[in-house]
Amino acid sequence: MAEAVYILCALTSIACAVLLLRAWKRSQSRLLLWSGLCFVGMAVSNTLLFIDLVVLPTTIDLYVPRQLATLASASILLYGLIWDAS
Amino acid sequence: MLHSMLSGAVAMAWLACALFFLRFWRQSHDRLFAFFALSFAVLGVNSVVAALIDAQDERRYYIYVARLVAFLIILYAIWDKNRASRRG
Repeated sequence: MAEAVYILCALTSIACAVLLLRAWKRSQSRLLLWSGLCFVGMAVSNTLLFIDLVVLPTTIDLYVPRQLATLASASILLYGLIWDAS
Repeated sequence: MLHSMLSGAVAMAWLACALFFLRFWRQSHDRLFAFFALSFAVLGVNSVVAALIDAQDERRYYIYVARLVAFLIILYAIWDKNRASRRG
C-alpha cells in the first residue's frame, strides 16, 4: 500500500509539472513557469523517495538528497513569486 | 541536526509560497490561487509533522498520503481552471 502511495506521489507531481509547463507555453505567464519548475523538482524528490524506500536496501538513506530536492523546488517557486509576480 | 534544519527550511518555504498565493487570491478572486495556497499550506504543515514524528513511527506513512492530497489539489485546480476558461 505504501509503495502505491509513493508511486502515486511521483506520478501526480510529474502530471502537475507537465500540465503547468504546457499552460506556461500557451500563456507565457512566468508564474506558471516557476510553478512548473517547482513541480519538476518535486517529481525528482518523489522519484528519489520511491528509489530510497522501495528499491534500495535500508542501509542506504537518501533522506538528505530528497530534502535538498524539495528545498530546491520550494526555493525556485519562492524566487519566482518574489521577483516575477506582482 | 541537519535533518531538522532542512525540514524547517522546507516548511518555511512552502508556507511562504502559500501566503503569496493567498495574497494573489485576495487580489484577483481567482479560485486557482486559493487551491494553490491550500496545497502549499498542506505541504508546509506536512513538513513540520514529518520533522516531529519519529522515523520508526508507523503513522509516518500518512505523511506521504497528505503529500499526495496536496498534488491532487493542484491537479484539480488546473483542471478547474481549464474548464472555466473553456466555458469562457
